[in-house]
Amino acid sequence: MNDRELGGPVVARLGCAGADKVLLCEGAGLAAPPLEATHGAALLAAVERVSPLLVLFPAGGGGLALGPSLAARIGAAFAGAADLEVTDAGPLAEGVGRVFLRRWRGGRAAYRRLDPVEIERPVVAILAAGAVEREAGTAEIDVEVVTCAVPQQTGVVEISSEADGDALVALSRVVVAVDPALGPDAVARIAAGAPSGVTVVDRDRAAAAIAASAPEILIAIGDVELPVMGTPRGRVGAIVVGDGDTAPRARAVDVLWRVPAGSTGEKLWGEIAKALSAFGTSAPARARTKTRAKAHE
Amino acid sequence: MSGALNLVVCLRAPPPDPEGDALGRADALALAHALGLAGAAHKVTALLGGTSTEAGPLRLALGAGVDRAVRVAADELGAADFHTIGQVLAIAIRRIGADLILTGVRSDDEGLGAAPAAIARHLGVAYLPCVEEIAFVDGPAVEVVTRGGGRLRRLRVKLPAVLTIAAGPGPVTARAPRTGDAPPIEVIPLSDPESTVVRRRTELLGRPEPASRGVETVTSAAALVDALARR
Repeated sequence: MNDRELGGPVVARLGCAGADKVLLCEGAGLAAPPLEATHGAALLAAVERVSPLLVLFPAGGGGLALGPSLAARIGAAFAGAADLEVTDAGPLAEGVGRVFLRRWRGGRAAYRRLDPVEIERPVVAILAAGAVEREAGTAEIDVEVVTCAVPQQTGVVEISSEADGDALVALSRVVVAVDPALGPDAVARIAAGAPSGVTVVDRDRAAAAIAASAPEILIAIGDVELPVMGTPRGRVGAIVVGDGDTAPRARAVDVLWRVPAGSTGEKLWGEIAKALSAFGTSAPARARTKTRAKAHE
Repeated sequence: MSGALNLVVCLRAPPPDPEGDALGRADALALAHALGLAGAAHKVTALLGGTSTEAGPLRLALGAGVDRAVRVAADELGAADFHTIGQVLAIAIRRIGADLILTGVRSDDEGLGAAPAAIARHLGVAYLPCVEEIAFVDGPAVEVVTRGGGRLRRLRVKLPAVLTIAAGPGPVTARAPRTGDAPPIEVIPLSDPESTVVRRRTELLGRPEPASRGVETVTSAAALVDALARR
């Protein structure tokens, strides 16, 4: 969605990433960050053109703003954070597709497999951050323009807008959420060792950004109750201080390190920072994160 | 601002908790925003769809000072998809009357956060997710702070509207003590043909699959990172 024609490099990049065709919703105001009130009708117009089985949003994109409403409008299933799975396991049972999505059920108790062929409905989903970008197509693809009228009386007016200091949280492969009860120095000290692709934030100050994220790896330091579950392929780690009442809920984490009460401080933050440097992302992933951050500026 | 407005906070039925009533963190944020916004001038109603044994969050909301607590008596909502949950709650909200509907960012039992969009669609009102700050302004309208597309934006949203709350003003603060007893939890029964909707729309959840994942305990930060990076 944009308010003008797409540049050649953007189209070429989409083609190289595997797109066969670009549907461009073009209209006044569509270059702004998406909202259901301003962008919902344009997205619906594009979706109705192709009647898709799957509508996928990238992490950090407009999925949270537009995905649930789109699913509600077209009667689709919705997954707020999902893995795209492709199976090549021999002949499949009748009515079962080869591409499907998998997401957590509430409380990470089990998975839900959303196969659009099986449920006979489209699926709208938001994918996790950190997927590897690779060449899967050609730069020469068609662009079909859907001309969109400016919605009248949306009921939503922008008063002000500024750069989001936490924008990288939704784009990061690894998010480390630090309990503010551990002191003001913890975030800064731990972040000092974080390589590109790893974002360290205060759990409360960045609560909204964390809630909107689906990182590949999430690490909670301190209180481990987080407003995000990630995807089934994702992993959750917890560093819990002390024992007893601070135990994480069953199934809340995959990997647990319990440190003794009283051991928090410079030494522990330094050890965590040093360990995080091992997440040194691969070159393509690092480049992608920087590119996305730049695109948001 | 002229006249009292009606705020409705949609709470979700919690998983069974042997230790008593429970209010999820996301729901607590929505409730805190509602009580803070309403003050003494506006009315707050807590709404939950579920059985009588799932009414714990409504009792907690009454304790925190909401004016009304309403349960939509629907036995089968636990197995319903977000379309159904949204439709059922929208039916109840129409009966209650609401200017502003607040929900936690993870509003339904599957942690999808899609039910608020379905509520908004059925009510035909604006929908805005992941709101962090809210203030009433003349209109009637609210000014909200939300983020997306790399921007932190302040928006003016005309009421009625459905907002999901991603961050909050802090823990739930009870209003001034009541002069009398808390009101009882009101029950809205779903009458046919409304209740048939619940039975009809349970297929979009997909197929459940077991998740065989245990917790690996480690003894150092390096081991934690190593275990998380392992596939």
